[in-house]
Amino acid sequence: MSPIVYYLTTLVVFFFIFAISTWGLNLQFGTAGILNFTYITFFAIGGYFTGVSMLGRPDALSNMRYILGLNLPFPIALLIGATAAGVLGLLVGLVALRRLRSDYLAIVTVSVGAIVYDFVNVNTGLFNGADGIAGIPYPFNDSLNLDPNTYTFFYIALTGLVTLVLGLLAFRIYNSPLGRTLRAIREDADVASAFGKDSYRFRMIAMVVGCVYAGIAGGLLVGFISALNPGGWVAGETFLLYAALLLGGRGNNWGALLGAFLVPVLFQEATRYLPQIPGHAELIPALRNMIVGGLLIAVLWFRPEGILPERKAKFPGVEYLKKRKAALEVG
Amino acid sequence: MSVLAQSVGFGLITASVLALAAVGLSLQFGVTNYINFAYGEFLTIGAYLAWTLSHSLHLNVYLSLVVATLIMGVFALLLNRLLLRPFTKKGVPLLFLLVVTFGLSLFLSNLTLAIWGPDFQSLDLPREVPHAFGPFLFTTSQLTIIGIAAVAMGALHILLTRTEIGKAMRAMSDSVDLAQISGIDTDRITSFTWLLSGCLAGLAGIVLAINITSFQPNFGGEFLFVIFAAVILGGVGSPYGAMLGALVIGLATEMSAVLINSAYKNDVAFALLILTLLLRPQGIIRMAGKAA
Repeated sequence: MSPIVYYLTTLVVFFFIFAISTWGLNLQFGTAGILNFTYITFFAIGGYFTGVSMLGRPDALSNMRYILGLNLPFPIALLIGATAAGVLGLLVGLVALRRLRSDYLAIVTVSVGAIVYDFVNVNTGLFNGADGIAGIPYPFNDSLNLDPNTYTFFYIALTGLVTLVLGLLAFRIYNSPLGRTLRAIREDADVASAFGKDSYRFRMIAMVVGCVYAGIAGGLLVGFISALNPGGWVAGETFLLYAALLLGGRGNNWGALLGAFLVPVLFQEATRYLPQIPGHAELIPALRNMIVGGLLIAVLWFRPEGILPERKAKFPGVEYLKKRKAALEVG
Repeated sequence: MSVLAQSVGFGLITASVLALAAVGLSLQFGVTNYINFAYGEFLTIGAYLAWTLSHSLHLNVYLSLVVATLIMGVFALLLNRLLLRPFTKKGVPLLFLLVVTFGLSLFLSNLTLAIWGPDFQSLDLPREVPHAFGPFLFTTSQLTIIGIAAVAMGALHILLTRTEIGKAMRAMSDSVDLAQISGIDTDRITSFTWLLSGCLAGLAGIVLAINITSFQPNFGGEFLFVIFAAVILGGVGSPYGAMLGALVIGLATEMSAVLINSAYKNDVAFALLILTLLLRPQGIIRMAGKAA
């Protein structure tokens, strides 16, 4: 396989992973109005738990220290990863979703992000600290025995399937009574509670499901690159997803999909091969992050609804009542 | 001298740094009613400005401290004028305004990285001599930090209680609408608040840099949630609450370093933050309309 084809197939996998992440963020931020400023932490927790569930017991040879080491097959490991991310989301929600303004939730998420990052780095027994875990077996390849090139295509199919299922679910949630309620709470929590909607419970569902999406995306990434360390989930990654969602169109799952293609895939990859400035290796990544931060602000100023805006809700019942009223007035 | 007593000493120093930062954040939140997530970067830039002034331009350390503090005040004022005020005037929802400051924090932290590079730098005060006060032993720079914080807090108290502008700030913190109909020029007060908040952030960044002896472009951002912990513990929007919160968080983190393990200093601040949110989300000093 030529390097170009290999590169492009890799991008397809990344695109799927980013699509899942952006949908999860869209459920939290776009649909429910939950400001989770450390979305990437849930991604990382999902990735770590998937990874350590697939690895065998840590031994002296591998020179790594980590928990679990269960030697489980990928689907079960992914389930564990998704559950771990969901549980962390639940814990954060328990503190921050109860009767607090959105600032406080954001503060709690920022703090949780900093603490988890610190904790994973300091407690090397968890996920091997700053070095991270590596050597995670390729999902299903112990029975498939594919060569690396063919395996990439298999992995595209695997992530594609997961993406399809989670995508359908995301659209389904958005159009369901649950999605409608979440949007109502986002617009005005007081009005929603006046109609008997328990905003805490509904927002908690969005929080947990969104974090499960992040966890699955993290698990899929770990299955693909077979390693994860703290350098891979710094705060900048969360910004990237926010930029993707806002540019594509928050509250619109097609917009989230478009954003996942435009920002983390197209923009990141297009700037990845810019020439390095000798002696200043950090300059290009820094400029790239400045552009992402600037993009976030620019989108909010020039087109806060994004490229594909959220469709305005139509209420057939209201139209019917208006018509009836008009007919009565004429009559 | 006992280790615990010394940890109380360290706690007082951390509390001094934290008080400067927390009061600056809390004042701005009180008046504008939204959190500035780029505040940590204000600290970072303040420290780097002081470093450039003293190392590259060979200014006296104390003079560069004053100049960098003032520059940060003007910087915050301009940021509000050019970026945040246009957004608030447009009537952008709170959720988006927070994302704007969040995006700004990424922009500023990487701007710092691009300008000053990733290496460790340090700000040194001349003539470090140990001074003994009862059970405590402080270096000259540590005493300077405590002194700066004490003077700043005293000046703030006078500003808030004795001057027209300080009283107007407190009025706006209670209710912007009521302040406006009593004839307060809310635009001017908001500008002044950003100026003050920027100065305090810059000064806090400089003394934090002196205290931790060497710093990198992400040090302010990493300190942000400790500031949050102090602000929320004290009661968001209340400057006196922020001072109290800073004292509690400063002492708790430094004493836990001795009693538990210094690796878990930040976790103690985090635990206090979570406990406050669970038990008393309005903080020690309650401000109407700022919490729930």
